Amino acid sequence: MKQRKRVEWSRLDNASKIFPATASDKDTKVFRLVCELYEKVEPKVLQRALDDTVESFPLYKSVLRRGVFWYYFEISDLKPTVEIESLPVCAPIYMRDKRNLVFRVFYYNNRINLEIFHALSDGTGALLFFRTLVSNYLLLKYGEEFAYKGPKLDCDVSVSKKMDDSFDRYFDGKEDLNRKTKIKKGKHLRAYHIQGVRNDENRMQVIEGCMPVKALLDMAHQYNTTLTIFIASLFIYSIFSEMSANEKKVPVVLSVPINLRQFFSSATARNFFSTMNAGFSADKNTADLAEIIQNISKDFMESLTEERLVQQLNHFMSLEKKLFTRIVPLPLKDLFLRLANHMNDRGITAAISNIGQISMPSEFDGYIKLFSIFTSARRPQICMCSYKDNLVITFTSPFRETEIQRTFFEFLSSRGIEIEISTNIDNADRNE
Amino acid sequence: MKYCNHCKVHIRGNKQKCPLCRNILSDSGQDRNEVYPKIPPAYERHLLIRIMIFISIVSIVVSFVVYSIFPSDINWPMLVVFGLLSMWLSLTLVIRKRHHITKNIMYQVTVVSMLSVFWDWRTGWRGWSLDYVIPVVCITAIFVMYIMAKIMKLSIRDYITYLFLSALFGFIPVLFILFHWVNVIYPSMISVAGSIIFLSAILIFQGENIKAELNKRMHI
Repeated sequence: MKQRKRVEWSRLDNASKIFPATASDKDTKVFRLVCELYEKVEPKVLQRALDDTVESFPLYKSVLRRGVFWYYFEISDLKPTVEIESLPVCAPIYMRDKRNLVFRVFYYNNRINLEIFHALSDGTGALLFFRTLVSNYLLLKYGEEFAYKGPKLDCDVSVSKKMDDSFDRYFDGKEDLNRKTKIKKGKHLRAYHIQGVRNDENRMQVIEGCMPVKALLDMAHQYNTTLTIFIASLFIYSIFSEMSANEKKVPVVLSVPINLRQFFSSATARNFFSTMNAGFSADKNTADLAEIIQNISKDFMESLTEERLVQQLNHFMSLEKKLFTRIVPLPLKDLFLRLANHMNDRGITAAISNIGQISMPSEFDGYIKLFSIFTSARRPQICMCSYKDNLVITFTSPFRETEIQRTFFEFLSSRGIEIEISTNIDNADRNE
Repeated sequence: MKYCNHCKVHIRGNKQKCPLCRNILSDSGQDRNEVYPKIPPAYERHLLIRIMIFISIVSIVVSFVVYSIFPSDINWPMLVVFGLLSMWLSLTLVIRKRHHITKNIMYQVTVVSMLSVFWDWRTGWRGWSLDYVIPVVCITAIFVMYIMAKIMKLSIRDYITYLFLSALFGFIPVLFILFHWVNVIYPSMISVAGSIIFLSAILIFQGENIKAELNKRMHI
């Protein structure tokens, strides 16, 4: 008898392995990509666009399943459906034993929202999918207006390249033993932890600020630094100004994801990132933004070298490849990963992630207003991206408090930057 | 769009207060296009469970009180405690594995078999657990699983490993017969016979699938 259907499945890449183990109702490990158009989204067209898009990203049709030793993606024949936004932002996607896709597409008024479980892809990878989706949508909806010239995305690569496990391709897990000590240095320092009152049902509070990218760049240049470092420093500054004198003795440390595609050529739509920490500890009670910038720049300089990255990633790869790790049953692995994650969290105050500039074919200029990205988080987190002249900086937080966000945006607005705030906070219900 | 005079920022959507400083916003025109929908709070699903937990605790407390007022030879309140524990154990698994019917059946087979042996042992070992319960549970599980898989139109690869496993389970009563642990032999015989037939059917017709499934699930 012939086999009816080959079972297609694939392993999770190195960075993905942490997410199914550590996802919970409090931190769902789901992030959202948003594209806001100038007109209302038409669900039927979006559905057709989605059907087309998913065909060229076969791994996105996967279901995440538990094996005896590892998680794996199993290609399913489930069809993703477009729905009107009906769940809290970044609601859980991966539920054990439930056979569903690990992403969802919502629309609401002018916005197309893509929510993805982080095990499937990182921000840049998901953006590849999302840009294709948006571009397919616009082509289907306004096709005749581009008739003379079909706009083409710059991310048109082969399916196998998009589904590539780039960790496996670049890192063999062979560690340079002489350098091993260098990574571990200063790892177990405890960082300041932001406290707050959780939102009901562990919902995420989203505060999104849209502002002109040029004004921000100019401001960063005044401080002789890059946009990411400037925003990271301003974030630390805002956190710092809400700390009590006693708390100021502990450092404020930001975790910053690094997109590895800029160091190791890859066009994968899966995870390919690493993280670094950048921190600041004050020796006095007040902090000066310029001083923070100086500290943060130093951390960025040290961490963002290819040598350092190779070393770090080979270390993670070697952990995965060890025979002992491989034969430990999955429930135990989950436990270890959760523990490791917890230890790592002790040294982190907050996180900032810059997806950078998002480019779309210029024909779409008149249709797309902005892109935005944000993620579920255990503590306040900034995600940012820009599209043309719109820079969107989004805070997500599991807490009700908004002091840090206020300090942050006030700093910018008081220096003459026009900011448009959108939020999912519904203060009509709140008794304050 | 509204404007907050304190924070000097524009606020989109129809907000009454500034999300940053929580001051009342100046009312400068309505913004019809909300950016985020209002999501109502999730419906409280666990009320039934709470009621059941409450009833369990009440019945345990009441049974101990009644026992101390009207003592009897059998320590029956302990039976109530173990009975409720068994029920909760089984129920928790049903709920936790509710998305995965075949896994759920496997867990139930294991739990019910173990509990029946435990109860039989604690109530003076009359052998009913091995005579009847385990063989009947095993053979029923195989049929229920096969029927459920057909009704729910599960694809073969989703249930084949579990069907295989439950057929292996159904084979276990062969030990009861060989070692003369049972007084009534027929249920065990039926279970073993059924398992052999199922196992051979699976291996002959679905051997490739089983192999592929195992490779996938057991990869290291």
